[in-house]
Amino acid sequence: MSIPILSLVTFVPLLGAVLLIFLPRERKTLLYSVALTLSLFVFAASLFLYFRFDAAAAGPQFVEKSAWLGFGIQYHLGIDGISLFLVLLTTFLVPIVILASWSYIQDRIKEYLIFMLLLETGILGVFLSLNLFLFYVFWEAALIPMYFLIGIWGGKRRVYATMKFVLFTMFGSLLMLAAIFTLSSLFFKATGTYSLNVFEQARMVLNPRLQTWLFLAFGLAFAIKVPMFPFHTWLPDAHVEAPTGGSVLLAALLLKMGSYGFIRFAIPLFPDAVETFLPALSVLCLIGIIYGGLMALIQKDVKSLVAYSSVSHMGLVMLAVFSLNVEGTLGAIYQMLNHGLSTGALFLAVGILYERAHTRAIKDFGGVSKQMPVFSAFFLIAILSSAGLPGLNGFIGEISCLYGIFAANKIYAVLAMTTVILGAAYLLWMFQRVMQGPITNEKILSFRDMGRREILYFAPIVVLMFWMGISPQTFLGKMEASVTAYVQRIKGRERVFVQKPGPSPAARRIDVREALSR
Amino acid sequence: MNVTAALLPLLIVVVGAILVLLLEAFWKRTDKTPLAMLSIAAILGSAAAAVRLWGAGASAFGGMLRLDDAALVFTMIFFVTVVFTILIALRYLPRQNANFGEFYGLLLLALAGLMIMVSSPNLIVVLLGLETLSVASYALAGLKRDDDKALEAAIKYFLMGSFASGFLIFGLALLFGMAHTLEIPGVTAAFAAPEGATLLGLAGLVLVLIGFAFKIALVPFHMWSPDVYQGAPTPVTAFFVVGPKAAGFAILFKLVAPYAPQALRSQKILTMLGVLAALTMLVGSLTALRQRNVKRLLAYSSIANAGYMMLAVISGDGAGLMFFLAAYLFMSFGAFGSLIAMGGGGREFHELEDFAGIGFKYPWIGGLFSIFLIALAGFPPLGGFLAKYYVFSEAVKKGLTPLVLIGLLASLISAYYYLRIIVFMYMREPERDIDLDVENPALYLVLFLCLYGVLQLGLFPGNVLFVFKQAAASLFL
Repeated sequence: MSIPILSLVTFVPLLGAVLLIFLPRERKTLLYSVALTLSLFVFAASLFLYFRFDAAAAGPQFVEKSAWLGFGIQYHLGIDGISLFLVLLTTFLVPIVILASWSYIQDRIKEYLIFMLLLETGILGVFLSLNLFLFYVFWEAALIPMYFLIGIWGGKRRVYATMKFVLFTMFGSLLMLAAIFTLSSLFFKATGTYSLNVFEQARMVLNPRLQTWLFLAFGLAFAIKVPMFPFHTWLPDAHVEAPTGGSVLLAALLLKMGSYGFIRFAIPLFPDAVETFLPALSVLCLIGIIYGGLMALIQKDVKSLVAYSSVSHMGLVMLAVFSLNVEGTLGAIYQMLNHGLSTGALFLAVGILYERAHTRAIKDFGGVSKQMPVFSAFFLIAILSSAGLPGLNGFIGEISCLYGIFAANKIYAVLAMTTVILGAAYLLWMFQRVMQGPITNEKILSFRDMGRREILYFAPIVVLMFWMGISPQTFLGKMEASVTAYVQRIKGRERVFVQKPGPSPAARRIDVREALSR
Repeated sequence: MNVTAALLPLLIVVVGAILVLLLEAFWKRTDKTPLAMLSIAAILGSAAAAVRLWGAGASAFGGMLRLDDAALVFTMIFFVTVVFTILIALRYLPRQNANFGEFYGLLLLALAGLMIMVSSPNLIVVLLGLETLSVASYALAGLKRDDDKALEAAIKYFLMGSFASGFLIFGLALLFGMAHTLEIPGVTAAFAAPEGATLLGLAGLVLVLIGFAFKIALVPFHMWSPDVYQGAPTPVTAFFVVGPKAAGFAILFKLVAPYAPQALRSQKILTMLGVLAALTMLVGSLTALRQRNVKRLLAYSSIANAGYMMLAVISGDGAGLMFFLAAYLFMSFGAFGSLIAMGGGGREFHELEDFAGIGFKYPWIGGLFSIFLIALAGFPPLGGFLAKYYVFSEAVKKGLTPLVLIGLLASLISAYYYLRIIVFMYMREPERDIDLDVENPALYLVLFLCLYGVLQLGLFPGNVLFVFKQAAASLFL
């Protein structure tokens, strides 16, 4: 392969953003068309990745590596079974979001599209980086466009919401940065060379006490992003205030950056610390699942209902990640994709309703399905997918997650099962109140059904939901090799015991005091 | 030959300064652009003379003036600083009714002082350079003679500057009493001697450090700086936060860095400096949170940034310090340049409320200012991030993790107040109409050069870093 396909996928959106700066702001259609074309091109390029991806190989493919800044900082991109579908999800959703914004965003379209494309570059970079430094660069860079998307096009409390979002995320990531410094310097002390390559870093055997601190730093950054209970408070604010497009990307992609971070970085780098914290983390996940579900039940605003459902669903994903077995991890990744699709679709549906009613309060709706039968069908499918109806994608993900959790701990699995019940409850109850029953608000009588554009962007998601529900092997097949290798690396690692006297020559062990005194 | 070569850069600048002052006195013209151009020409000439010495070095007056690689790097930083200052002042001064040709002459004299400071190993000569710089600076701060704030700034600067010089001179006297020399290598050698430092010598060192701490505005010696930075004309402020600080850090580095591996007593000095750094980072950031005036906010942010640079000094990371200074040069001039763009009809709009809606009304100003603010907040992939990354990672390597954590905390706080300016520019509706004078090509040139600098240093700093590493090696000779 001579074309650097991963760089192409990552940076074409950035180029598009630069191009948009120089286009006249009055030509709205032109701006949209350019952005849409470029994002579709990126999607096509990433499809190419899918077809050329070798399902049997566990390691990263399409690797691009070149020296960048020295000190182990390399430009190092690669894709494996864990990141492949997250990349595809990103490139798939961005054109949809651009289409969905066509009528929702009326002013400052140019800036909106610029930030959208910048965000796409940031997210793709996060999923593709295999160098800790590069990862951090993209991680932080993705923050800025979202900050603007919420802050400029958001609702009434947008400034509060966006500041909260940025400061929460930044707090975690700065600690992660400190941990990256430490890792870099430890690696140098252990081997005499610099490297921030994930896989090389993961081979370094660290003292458990040191691991604890470093894991806490990384884990906090990711836990805030996921968000895990009790770091979730920024999420409902950000979601409620964000414009539809921002909400979709936030829920579908930005949250995945957190759970992906655990799988790619926090767990492989600090396996002993993960083992120590496993009970605490699992309990937090369980609280997240139940608390998120209960909170979703009592929301008055459709959007914050979906936001809390995210907290609940991501809790399940994280619990499956922490099951540390192949089934659970596969399920977690699958469920990440499902959540991206179904929550994305739910936010799009809420956006469609909001464009007509200019309200999101559940009590203002009722009987909408009479006026909008097509929309009603789409909405119902999205809800059922989110609730995990067999035949749709959510079912496969949830079952697989629960299977993995069950294998790890039966009590957790039983408790986690509540997500299925709660999910069905809050979603269907919401559907009933919004879509069915008598029409209580005469404004609803003037609603028109979904237009052609709306069907155009909603239909691909629904198709994919069915596809992922009926033929999961298309997707799981490409993940299995990487996930198996990942689980084996963690299970089969060299265990370190601090008290054991005498140095072992095989292990490049680092003791804190020794490292600091050197 | 060697002597001429070593003197030439300095001579060109001083001759340029005198020429500008004479022309101003005898050539009555309202348009001062030729004077500005003459100054820039002098600086370019000087730069050409200086660059030739790269790698070879030159010295004059029995080693009292020595241009090594480190001195050259700092000199280059000063050249860029002064050229940027002149360019952003070009339209600003007439609009602010302060169009004095002396501005350019004084600026060149200040530059000469800066150059002397970094190119001498002898602390007395350093002091001479510092005084040259200071006298010129006092006058520059009070350039707007009819503005109360500017006068306050000038007088405050003068008083506190003299006070700091007093500390410095007394400290030098004590140091000389112990080391019998004021050559920096001799002084550090005296501290490293087996019998150790005498108490008076240590007191001398502390006094010298306090003198410099005043000059570079480390907390708790920073009280004067926000008023001065706010009151001085904006281009002068931009000059103040970069030029003199860079020189101060260069000296401080030479004085402090050699102690890092040594005995307990000097460790105490490092501890003291560590406390200063921590205070500077935190107090600078926390106070900036409360500011409603953006110029004053940037003044406090410059204090916080001095704290990060202090971290580089303590960890003995010369290349990191230079890199941080270079990145800070571009970020600051970008930010202060944007502040200059926020002027119209002879007034300056620096209150936060004035920025409401600017981002959409003047997309270029808003966009560029946002980029510089994001760079200052330390977001990748801009220069500010990499500067912090290098400084912090080196500090962690030296075991300064607590200070780094404080630095990261300060960065988090600083992100809030930088982003708040962006909130006003993009997320608030304007309460009143503000018309800016957009016609200012020299300013935009500087802004775009700064943008280039911030991106280059953030994405591909390879060559620059290489040069800085080479230069930093000469710091320890």
